[in-house]
Parts: sequence; C-alpha cells; structure tokens
Amino acid sequence: MSTQPFRLASGGLIDRGHPLDFSFDGASYRGYAGDTLASALLANGVRLVGRSFKYHRPRGILSAGPEEPNALVELRSGARREPNTRATVVELFGGLEAASQNRWPSLAFDLLSINGLISPALVAGFYYKTFMWPASFWEKLYEPLIRRAAGLGRAAGAEDPDHYEKAFAFCDLLVIGGGPAGLSAALAAGRSGARVILCDEDFRLGGRLLAEQREIDGKPASEWLAATLAELTSLPEVRIMPRTTVFGLYDHGIYGAVERVADHLPQPPAHQPRQRGWRIHARRAILAAGALERPIVFAGNDRPGVMLAGAVRSYVNRHGVLPGRETVLFTAGDDGWTTARDIAAAGGKVAAIVDSRPADPVRKALADKLGARLFAGGAVTGARGGRQLSGVTIRDASGAVSELSCDLLAVSNGWNPTLHLTSHQNGKPAWDESLQCFVPGTVPAGLTVAGSAAGRFTLAQALEDGARLGRDAATEVGLTTLPAEPTPTTDPETNGLSPVWRVSGGKGKAFVDYQNDVTDKDVELAAREGFRPVEHLKRYITLGMATDQGKTSNLSGLAIMAEQTGRTIPQTGTTTFRPPYTPVAIGALAGHHRGKDFRPIRLAPTHDWSKEQGAIFVESGPWLRAQYYPRSGETDWLTTVNREVKAVRAGVGLCDVSTLGKIDIQGADAAEFLERVYINGWKALPVGKARYGLMLREDGFVMDDGTTSRLGETHFLMTTTTANAGKVMQHLEFCHQVLWPELDVRMVSVSEQWAQVAIAGPKARETLRGVVDREHDLSNEAFPYLAARAVTVGGGIPARLFRISFSGELAYELAVPADYGDATVRALMQAGAPFGITPYGTEALGVMRIEKGHVAGNELNGQTTARDLGLGKMMSSKKDFVGRLMAGRQALVEPDRPAFVGFKPVDPSQRLRAGAHFIDIGKPGVMENDEGYMTSVAYSPHLDHWMGLGLIKGGAARVGERVRAYDPVRNGDVVVEICSPVFVDPEGARLHG
Amino acid sequence: MRITCPHCGARDAQEFSYLGAADLQRPEGMAASEAAMADYVYQRDNPAGVHRELWYHGAGCHAWLVVTRDTRNHAITAVEPAKARKAGAAA
Amino acid sequence: MAETARSWAPRSAWAGIAQAGQIGAAGAAGVTATLLDGFGLATLIAAPGGAAALSQTVEARLGIALPTTPKIVPGASHDAIWSGPDQWLLRASTREGSGSLLESLSAQAAVSDQSDARAALRLSGPDVRDVLAKGVMLDLHPAAFAVGDAALTSIAHIGVHLWRLADGPDGSAFEIMVARSMVGSFWSWFAASAAEFGCQISIDRSTGRG
Repeated sequence: MSTQPFRLASGGLIDRGHPLDFSFDGASYRGYAGDTLASALLANGVRLVGRSFKYHRPRGILSAGPEEPNALVELRSGARREPNTRATVVELFGGLEAASQNRWPSLAFDLLSINGLISPALVAGFYYKTFMWPASFWEKLYEPLIRRAAGLGRAAGAEDPDHYEKAFAFCDLLVIGGGPAGLSAALAAGRSGARVILCDEDFRLGGRLLAEQREIDGKPASEWLAATLAELTSLPEVRIMPRTTVFGLYDHGIYGAVERVADHLPQPPAHQPRQRGWRIHARRAILAAGALERPIVFAGNDRPGVMLAGAVRSYVNRHGVLPGRETVLFTAGDDGWTTARDIAAAGGKVAAIVDSRPADPVRKALADKLGARLFAGGAVTGARGGRQLSGVTIRDASGAVSELSCDLLAVSNGWNPTLHLTSHQNGKPAWDESLQCFVPGTVPAGLTVAGSAAGRFTLAQALEDGARLGRDAATEVGLTTLPAEPTPTTDPETNGLSPVWRVSGGKGKAFVDYQNDVTDKDVELAAREGFRPVEHLKRYITLGMATDQGKTSNLSGLAIMAEQTGRTIPQTGTTTFRPPYTPVAIGALAGHHRGKDFRPIRLAPTHDWSKEQGAIFVESGPWLRAQYYPRSGETDWLTTVNREVKAVRAGVGLCDVSTLGKIDIQGADAAEFLERVYINGWKALPVGKARYGLMLREDGFVMDDGTTSRLGETHFLMTTTTANAGKVMQHLEFCHQVLWPELDVRMVSVSEQWAQVAIAGPKARETLRGVVDREHDLSNEAFPYLAARAVTVGGGIPARLFRISFSGELAYELAVPADYGDATVRALMQAGAPFGITPYGTEALGVMRIEKGHVAGNELNGQTTARDLGLGKMMSSKKDFVGRLMAGRQALVEPDRPAFVGFKPVDPSQRLRAGAHFIDIGKPGVMENDEGYMTSVAYSPHLDHWMGLGLIKGGAARVGERVRAYDPVRNGDVVVEICSPVFVDPEGARLHG
Repeated sequence: MRITCPHCGARDAQEFSYLGAADLQRPEGMAASEAAMADYVYQRDNPAGVHRELWYHGAGCHAWLVVTRDTRNHAITAVEPAKARKAGAAA
Repeated sequence: MAETARSWAPRSAWAGIAQAGQIGAAGAAGVTATLLDGFGLATLIAAPGGAAALSQTVEARLGIALPTTPKIVPGASHDAIWSGPDQWLLRASTREGSGSLLESLSAQAAVSDQSDARAALRLSGPDVRDVLAKGVMLDLHPAAFAVGDAALTSIAHIGVHLWRLADGPDGSAFEIMVARSMVGSFWSWFAASAAEFGCQISIDRSTGRG
C-alpha cells in the first residue's frame, strides 16, 4: 500500500478518517473519501495515466473537471467495464478498479508510440489522403490497421448487468450549476416559493468555491456555502440534484440530464439504477455552469505534469494534494498568480513564474515574496520529459533562453465561459474583445446566464447575478418575491489577462487538441490547403471532434487559424456546441426500454392458456401470438402445422383472433361513413350480417381489410388486421374529424374488451353447440354464412357470434368479454373433445388462408391495388370513397401490371420461397426480365406439395403457363405453373355446410 | 418539443404523430377530377417559416389538431382542433 | 345451468401478472398498489351537439355531471371520467347492474361496454409521485394536477388513463387504467420503478368478485 507521497498533511475537503483502497493498472493505492480518481492518483504520485489517440504519447492529468482530454481510463471489469471515463470526474470508491487504455503492451512501454516518430505520415487529413487506393485494400488492410492503432478504450462486450431509468421532472426554475451563482439563484427563487431544481455534475456542491481560498462577508466562503445549502435543503419545493449533468437543451424548455445514481459505488445497491436519464421541463432556467480554463499551445505541452493552473488549485485546496514538488507557473493573467500563492501557502515550492505580460513592480514584489524567479514578458517554449515532466525551456523578454527543472508546470491562460447550452438551440456565442473569450450571444427563450458562464468571472459578479436572475425568474413565473437581500461582499480579486494562444519556436509537437492529437502544425496545414472556414477546419483535422468536443481546444485552434489567415477570431468563426455537453451512456437514454421491455408487448386473454398448451409464440406487430402448438414427439414445426391444418379440415380447430382490431362505429351517419372509407357498399347490409371490406389509402393503394358487421341500424363493428389496428383507427379519425366532421359518426376501439376465438372445421357447429346457450339456433338456416349476432354463452354471458371464415371451412368467430376468454377456450376444448378439437396457431392459419387464396399482410404490402389483388370488382362505381380517383390512374390500371394468382411447383417435391421473382423460362435471371414476385408460400398437407401466391404480369390470363420462380439469394430456381389462387374447395361447398 | 393540446393541455411531442399541411381541401364527390386529387395527394409546399399542419394526439384524446408552427425554430403559436373548422356543419 | 356458470370462471386482467405481497426494497413500503377488479366500464360518446343533454340525463340518474375538461367526477355508484371531446368513461363500482342505465343512455350516446378492456390500480404512498415520474410525462405536482384531474397519456409507451384521488393518510393517491393486453408490460415498468421504494401490493375484490 502506498503512502500518498503527494498528499498534504492537512487541509482539503477529504475525509482522512475514511480511507479508500483502489487499483490502477493492477497496482494498489489508497485515497480518501472526497477524492476523485485523478486526485487520488496524483496523491500517490501517479503521473502517467494514458496514451494518446494517434501518436500514443504519454499523457497525464490536465484538468480537474469535465473538460479532461487526456486522463481517460477504463473503470471496473467484466460486464461492468466502462471505457473512456474521465479520471477527473470519477468519484473514488473503495475497490475501484481502473486501467489505462490505448497502450500495448503496457502503459510505460508502448510499441505504437512509434507512431510519434513516423508522424509525418500521420498528418492532418491522412485518412483522406492515404487510404484511398486501391479500394480492395480498405477492408482487408487499412480498416483493421486503423482499428488496431486508433480507438480509445474497450467496451465490455457483455450485456450491462445494471438497470437504468428514465424520469420526467417539472419546475419553475432549473438552475444548472451549483457554484456561487447557481446557489444564489436557487436561493433567491426558492425563497419566493418557486419550484426549483438545482443540478450539479459534481458530487459536492459549491463549484469553484471548493477549489479556492475565498471570503464572503468577511468569513471563509465555506461558511456561506454551508448556510446556503442548509437553507436550500429546508425549502420543500427546492430539489438539489448532485451528480447530475444537464447535457442538452431542447425545444420548448426541455432539458436533458443524467443523474449518476450509483456510479460512485462498486455496483448499484439492490433496486437502485446505475444511472437515471432525466427530461426536465423548466419554465425558466439559469445557466450557472461556470467556466473552463484554457491551456496554451507550446512544444511539449502534453507532457504529464503540465496542468491547468486552476486544476492545480483544485487539487491543493479541495483534495489536499500538491501535484508537484517543484512548480513553474506559466501565466497570461492574474488568475495564475492565485495558484502560485495557494501552492506556497500549502508549503509547496514555486520555482519560477513566467508571465507573458510586461514587467510590473507589484507582480515583481509578489514573486519575491513567494521566492519565485519571475520571467516577465516571457514564455515557456518547450516542456521536457518522457513519462513525466522533467523541465521547461523559458524564453525571457529579451529572447534569452533558460532551462529549468520542474515536475509541475501550471498553465493559466484565462477561462472560457461554459456557455454550451446557450448554443444548443442554434444560439451563436459572441466574441468579447475585452474579456478575450466567447460569451453567450443569442440565448434561447426562457434561459438566462449567470456568473462565469456569462463571462462575469469574479465571485462578486457570480453572487450578484445569481441573486438577481433567480428573483427575475420567480417574478416571471408569477411569484411574489421578497425584498432583495444585499449582495454579500467578497475579498478583492483582479482578473487582468492578455491571452497567449501559441508559443512558436519550440522543439517538438505543440498540441491544440490533446484528445485527437491535433497540433498547431495541423491547423497551419489546413490553412494552407484551404480548409479555412471553421466547419471545414474542424472536420479536416478532427479538431474538437473527440469525446471532449474540444472543450480545451476549439478556441486555440480558431485563434491559430485567425493568426494564419490574418483575421480576427470573430472573423474566423465561432465555436458552437451541440448536445450532449459531456458523453451520456446509451443506457441512460434507453432507461427501462431494453431487452423484452424494448417496447410494450400485447398478450391475448387466452395467452396463459396457450402457454399451458405448450404453444410457441411469434411476434405479430406488438402482439405475441401462438404460432403453433407442438405435441410431444413432433420435432419440426412443419409436422405440427400439418397436423393442425389436417385436424381443422377433417374435424375442428380453434385459434385465438383477439388480436384483430375492433372498432365500434355508431351514429346516424355510420353507414354513410363506411361507404366513404371502404371501396364496397354498406348501406344495404342488413342488421345481423357481416361483410368483407377493403379500404384504400387516398393514393389508391390498399390500406387494410377485414369484416365489418352491422349490429344495429346505426351500429357497426369493424375489424381490422392485427398489424394495422392503430393505423386504421387513426385513419378513421382523420376521415371523420378532418374530412367529414359534419357526419354523425362516433368511434371507439373495443379491441381490448373482447376475446375472440375462431372455431373452424366441419365440426365447428357441433362444437359451438356445447358452448352457446340453447336458446340460440345455430342451424345453417337460422345462422347462415355471414350471420353476425349477439348470443349468450355459459348460461347468460353476453357474446357475439360471427359466421365468417378465413380457412374456407365452416367457421365462426366467437367474441366474449375478455375476462371470459380463458373460460371460453376451455369450454370449447371440452365441447370439441369428441371431435378431436385442435388448437392451431398463426402458421396453420396462414396455410389455410393460402390454400383458399385469401390475401393477408404479405399481399396488403402498401404496393398493391384492389385490382392487383383480384378485388377490383369490389370497387363501387356509384359512390366516392377514399382512394377511388387515384386507384384509377393509368399506371395502376395498366393491363400488364402484376396481378394476383396462385403458383404450384411443376415438380411437386420442390419447395417454394416467398420473395422469389418470376422469370420467363429460358430467359436470364436479371431485372429486365422480372415478371413479378411470390408473396406467400406454404406447404399444403391437403395437396401434399408446396403452393404459393404472388403477383405476375398478366395475372389470371396466364393460368396454365410455366415460369421460373427465381430466388438467387437462397439458390432457388423452381419451375412453377400459374394457377388459380384457390387451391382447396374452389366451389366453397365447405363454407356453406 | 411540447404541443399544447386544446383538450388535454401541454404534452410532449411523442404523444402526437405528424401528418402534414392542414389546409388542403379534399376534392369531394364523383365529379372531382383526377388532376385535382393528384394535387391534393401529392403537391406540398415546404415553407421555411410559419406552417399550419395536422398532428394527431394518438396517445391522448385522439383529436386531430391544426398546429401553427414555425419550421425554423419550432415556435408554436396556435393549436386548434381540426374538427372545429367545420363546426357549424357538425352542430 | 348453475353448474355450467361455475365452470365459466372469469379471469381478471391481473391474473398471472401480480400477486399480493411486497416487491422491491424491504421495510416500510414507499408505495401501496391496490389492484382493482370487478368494476364496470363503458364508453359514452355524445351525439353531435348533444353533450349537455346527455350530461343532464346522467346527472338525473346518477347525481353526477359529465365533466367537460379532463377530470373525474366521482359519484355514489358511478364515476364519470372525461376521455376525449364529448366522450366519457362511466365506471360502475360493480360489474353487473348498469345494463338498464346504459340501455337508456344509448338513446343519447353511443355506448360501448369496456368493462373487460382495462386493468386498473390505485397507487398511494409517500413516494408515489417519484415512481410515476419515471413514466408519466406530466407534471403531477398538486399545483398542476389537482384532486379530480384526469389525463389520457402514456407510460413507457403504453397508453394510460390516470387521475388524482384525494390524498390518503399515506400521501398522494392516483388511479391508473391501462389497456388489458399491455398490463404485463406495464407491470414490468411499474415493478422496476417502484422497487427502490418498496411496494406493498393488495388486491381489491370488494367490488363484486371473489
């Protein structure tokens, strides 16, 4: 166990009484509660944490926050292994396993670091330039090579064992960021009674106050922080959400956020999700996300040990870690000096301060006090060291060069407002010349920006903005605010700045984008080659396109391009951002909806009974339907289906058809309405009768079919196919509400109310007789084909009986209230037992409908007209209906349009395949010879050979001809004879029996 | 996106499905011409700006709605039931 | 006949889905779910222009007016629940006994029996809103969704009809109705969402069936 050699003896917001053991690349270390993985690694003296993406350069920890481009590690192991996590935001927990990535065979000795030596071959745009030719090399050589060399961490490759949730929240005010501005805003609005949600990505609230030695109202800022949090916690309508990143702003005040519920634990506690994706609906929002510090581009600026100055302060003040023994500060402004002061206060040594600004007596005095050499007007031109920084080269104002040893270089170049969310809705940031940064420009309605995120960088401004904007938000949502409290006073601060975008003249690579290994030379190359617009620049050299989206690099890249092209930064372009602000796990977006919960599954009222019978189920739209019911000894599905079909045709079978859509249609104009939506006539349908109906889309193609029954003079019951139930309901509502609101027609889905069972076969009537109450006459005379009437079953249970048939047999559909679906199938099985009643599934149903030449989903495929399907004669010429005119278009009535017929193999032993295309015998199987295609096939146990339905040019006129059924995908090439689509009982004798 | 259904209140867009232009008139009756019907079925403007369009509140009250939306920024300025447009006839 | 009737046992929408007991975290349950069974349900759709007259008839028969906005109006034997423009669900506390009422209303409304079409449950407890927030895309804060407010919306892509009851001793209370065929998927969502708070499940058959 290591001794944490870089941990300060005291101080910091860590719990030294709560040590946490963890491992990195297999070695054991110890940190404390309150550490991040990064602070714990630094405390233990671990500087080298990863290898870079392209050149495999050794990399350390640059930042202390979400912007981290270098310290990307894999967390955990096995199925929970998670790549590309930023060590700077990983909350340390006991037992944490972390590993470096992008190195082989080891972090310290990486073979692919040779990429750094052959880097001239890997210049910007090298993918575009190098891997162009020959094309056949791409798949076999280039892609495997690139995949091996590039890429970041490894995904787990196993199903994630944790669960994720989605959740929805609503508030008057969403405050994004829990620093001084955000806390002030939440408090001001919360005191007015506003419903406030305060999100902060950190596990501890306070923002930069946690990393700084500041005073508020003459007392340490920690006291103000504690008091503010205590008051916020006491307000019942204020919800504080730590570990929650607001990652996106969407239309109409909707914000996306991810709450890391259990990322700080080895695994989620029982019943807890790992993460929760939030959709927050906010009437107002305040962006108080602070700012991100900017690096400086100079040679070797990626050496482990080069760190942002503000990050150094975080480690010193918040985590009690001094990240180096010997520090050099390279600063372009006043802020860096605070780091030197805090290092010294913590007992660290500041060897030198390189300030890019001209000499100044106050700064000189301060440097002397800190015991540091001052290089006023100087620059760091290079950083040395392999796996760890060993020294820097400094050029002073006179141009003289010195070499200094150090193991920490703190870099300070000003801050960029974290304005990302303001640009998610097309908002354009604006360049502020005096601040030398982009500030929010156009801001979406409902959002305001406070503190550093608005470029108002001082603590006093943050406190003032927060309080004012919080009150404003409360007022805007109609609340009465209390009188404003005076803004707290703060200790003085200065933030003079003269940013340095690049230091030229050093030796070696100077990185702009650390994560994508983009250097200043790459930007120059893009400028030379004409990729000057910022959107081109970005894509050509992949600047800002890594997982950090250029948080530390976009502005430097823009500034160097500006310098190259002699323009100003705003002339060169703006940096805009798209969601998400930081990477979001897909799991948090999917929530509950994965695996079997990917989408809702619908189950018929007879489902459990079918399960008892050993049914195999199949997805049919959203439904699970019984596909077939294998019996013991039946080893393949075809044996089972053949048995089921034969049993129906010889005796009786039953099949659940509850899944059909059922729409109750009532009203004085119900018949008129059906006339308009169906192609055939309905006004003359007698009460108590059913009729087959076909409806078209307005473009003339078939939409759906089904039987509709007239239950009363103004009362119809429409059935739709299982797949189209929702679509037809929507279409009917459209026809009524949009096209013909003047009609009195009232519709509601009753699909869920009725369990419906088909009873088919010569013994169907006798079976039903045992179930339908005696007073209902079921004789052929009293209850003929297409009768549809209310009956009762089981001694008074209301039911509906329809004499309709999909199988061509004597058949009925019996509908009962869904609670009785289970009892009804059991009663039917009992009543049909003497006749060998057999449950059958969708496969047997399909076989029998093909044997009868009935169209189904394969034929109603959105590309067929009624005429194509041989149903053209159903189209009434006496009335208007949806699709009438377009169905009559010339192209849809061409005589050689493929039309519906049957097919049988000339050699009866041959199998047919749906999807096969028809080609004239003797012609090659190419598109030009395509005559149509097979839509449905089945093996007919009745005929003892395969049969098919399909569409072929010429249709019924070609009955008797032979063609090839050509199926190159499955090596099928079968000669088939065109025949009538009705294979069984063409006279329909069975139906009327 | 949120759409304020005149019946149900403000709801997430995922409760609705989109159809398209709201102000097309179906050529009704046996006298309608094929050309007029072809226009009705296929001809659409694609405005960058204010657009009146039909949405169906399928996960709510099943009402077809006329939504006035700016296609450039999704700003919604009006939502009314489609049925109300011919309300006189329905009463 | 009586013997036949006994063998025709109805099977509730909840059968095979959920049982009485506690799911999720042990200890004091943050949510109580009562699975409802045995109620009667029918859709009423008023004739064009006939909503007010229909409401008067219903009020004369049942003492409750039909709400014209998304609300539930509870009555002694029946509740009226808004379910669309000029459309309501009439819920009876028992499955049987509404036949003559519905028959008479059918002169003024399209009446469709839906008694078997929905699974319903009542949820209450201190954490009920936190559970619902995992699926309901509506603001259920009492200031935005008061007692008696109803909504047709969806949970986990499943259509639901929900409304707020008067607060119970253990906190907010809601009822939810969901399409019968989707109650399995609904329960999968609910059980996962309520687990962290612990959920006590009971079955209310008091309304008629055993």
